[in-house]
Amino acid sequence: MIRASLLIAAKDVRQRIRDRSAIMLGLVAPLGLAFIFSLIIPDFGGGDFVVRVAVVDEDGGLVSQAFTDQVLGPFADEGLLEISDAGSRDETLGLVADGGLDATYVIPAGFSSDVLAGLPAEIRVTGNVDAQIATEVAAAIAAEFTGTLTGAQLAAQASGADVGLLALQAAQAARPVVLSEAEAASKVLDATTFFSAGMAIFFLFFTVQFGVASLLEERIEGTMPRLLAAPIPPISIVGGKAIASLAVGVIAMAVLTVASAVFIGADWGHPIGVAVLIAASVLAALGIMAVIATLAKTPEQSSNWQTIVAVVLGMLGGTFFPVSQGPEALADISLLTPHAWFMRGLGELHAGGGPTSVAVPVAAILAFAAVTVGIAGLRVNRMVRL
Amino acid sequence: MKILTIGLNNVRRLLRERSNVFFVFVFPMLLILVIGASFGGSFEPRIGLIPAAGALGDALTDDLIDIDDVDVVLYVSRDELVDGIQRGRLNAGVVVPHDYDTTLLGGGRASVEFVTGPDQLGQQLRSTVQAAVARQSTVVLAARLLADGGFADQAESLELAQEAAATVAGVTVAVESAGEATFGDIGRFDLGAPQQLVLFVFLTSLAGSAALIQTRRWGVSRRMLATPTSAREVLLGEVLGRFGVAMVQGVFIMLGSLVVFGVDWGDPWAAAALLVAFSIVGAAGGMLLGSVLDNDEQGGSFGVFAGLGLAAIGGAMVPIEVFPETMQTVARFTPHAWAIEGFSDLIRHDGGFSDVIPELGILLLFGIGLLAVASVLFRRKLTT
Repeated sequence: MIRASLLIAAKDVRQRIRDRSAIMLGLVAPLGLAFIFSLIIPDFGGGDFVVRVAVVDEDGGLVSQAFTDQVLGPFADEGLLEISDAGSRDETLGLVADGGLDATYVIPAGFSSDVLAGLPAEIRVTGNVDAQIATEVAAAIAAEFTGTLTGAQLAAQASGADVGLLALQAAQAARPVVLSEAEAASKVLDATTFFSAGMAIFFLFFTVQFGVASLLEERIEGTMPRLLAAPIPPISIVGGKAIASLAVGVIAMAVLTVASAVFIGADWGHPIGVAVLIAASVLAALGIMAVIATLAKTPEQSSNWQTIVAVVLGMLGGTFFPVSQGPEALADISLLTPHAWFMRGLGELHAGGGPTSVAVPVAAILAFAAVTVGIAGLRVNRMVRL
Repeated sequence: MKILTIGLNNVRRLLRERSNVFFVFVFPMLLILVIGASFGGSFEPRIGLIPAAGALGDALTDDLIDIDDVDVVLYVSRDELVDGIQRGRLNAGVVVPHDYDTTLLGGGRASVEFVTGPDQLGQQLRSTVQAAVARQSTVVLAARLLADGGFADQAESLELAQEAAATVAGVTVAVESAGEATFGDIGRFDLGAPQQLVLFVFLTSLAGSAALIQTRRWGVSRRMLATPTSAREVLLGEVLGRFGVAMVQGVFIMLGSLVVFGVDWGDPWAAAALLVAFSIVGAAGGMLLGSVLDNDEQGGSFGVFAGLGLAAIGGAMVPIEVFPETMQTVARFTPHAWAIEGFSDLIRHDGGFSDVIPELGILLLFGIGLLAVASVLFRRKLTT
């Protein structure tokens, strides 16, 4: 019985490998698209972040000097700021508008004297409209400084003491509240890995769709009666189809994983975790595609419905774009697809998790597999007939 | 007349297949909806906040909630907050130590924890949070200056500083922006709709090459040639058929997105002209693929791959403006990039017909070039 299944499976696998459009959809398309995506998506993750600024000091007073030298200077030494020589206010603002600078500080005339007299004063930060992050950083640096000055002004107001003296003390005093930073290991995949994994799981559904559906073809092409006439139980025929689908699915996923890691630098995480996720996903994909095949009457109908389901699940499951970062409702809907759980599992591995970290995603994917394989199993016998 | 009949039959053949109806009409609209809902409109970064009790803690919470354009979500458990950041649901988190008030009142240094993932948005949010924290710090700093200078005792100093804060405007930072925004002020679906339009019109055209191959393989073309119909008429009829399919889909997506999602396509004549020009390119692409390949299944699967791949390179999935520079240049070799540029001239920059003439010209060049090659190949296949 098992021998017969294996024979049928081997024949189907050979047939698939010889079919060039299967290789196209199973391997070339996912790898090619992942490669294209990795080329067009800029990676925001790494790289040094430098804010290009200039200081238009129309004041030229003590306080504005202190800002340029003692506040901005250390940031420039650190490499966070790149300070260019500023021309006139209009020239510099023009440069910011064109994107030649990220942002500029304008310290208006009379700034220092106003600050020291306890009057309202203002440092203006003008940033390029597309360089929001850089502008925020530039503004935050200035805000730290003006906060100290305001503290001195407040104290002066309450005590009648000299603002300048208090400001000097304030500059030396430790800041009462500081921001400490903790980085959470990201479970969001980098662009290359995201698209490699997304395309792989998306096209997996097309790769395994032929299995049970090919029972319909066997009937149309007249090979089904011959199989039934052979001294093998019908279950061996179904088993053979399932084994062929599983084998092709696993092979395709394995090739895609290795190829995307080697050629475009996808980072899949712990190999055992990845293997378990893939095995569960292949089962779920097989089950879902098989249920649809058992509902169809002709091979064309089956393939059309399968395509629609695979595409919709793929889209909702966040294989083309990260749905999990969208609105809450959409993120919740996406968990109704095995795709989303596959991507989530990879996220756990991406954050450095071991094989156990994917337990929940794997269980969820296996639940899809159990339900759909069960339904397909109950219905499939109707397809194995003359 | 004969040309028209061949063309119409091609359109009819496509529409009769129910799964085609899904991919031609339903799926594009679904994608515009999902992408618009996910990424369109004004994006508000989300910060998770674990607040601290006490007067100073409340003041900090208020300051953080008041930050413009940031959505602050309150959390109790640090684990949940970190989980939200790790999964990308939150862009950053702020954990205020529970002894915030007592630390500050006792003269100590309070450390507010800022939790972030490794993306650049985290850096931006860090700056805004830092600014809010600095405002808080200011009053406490003033109080300490008063206490240290012997002007008031510990208990009084904070009160005095807070009173002063109510009257003194202080030294501030004013932020403004300059230059023209790349994406400007556009509707939630305005960026995605033209992208989906060119993606699907071209994808359907390429996948339609399968129908062209079937026409040849099933002998329909030979039978047509046996009637008093010239090869030229067959060719033009097939081109018209692909063009018709592209136009039907294009007009549907345009009107559908206009009615359902309120996408403003700008000058209607210019938009229609762009659609016609792009549909010609699509039709020509489908003809070329259908003439090169001999197996309709290959035509279908290669069409889908090429359709998605070219769309990605041409900026129909990710806006071209965020591409690395070399890829921006490469994108210029796809018709998609020119069509999208034309549509964004109309949608984002309120352009008129004259503004899209360059794009129209280039699209027509694409179309004529592809058609010329395709017709030579197609005639050869038809007659041999």
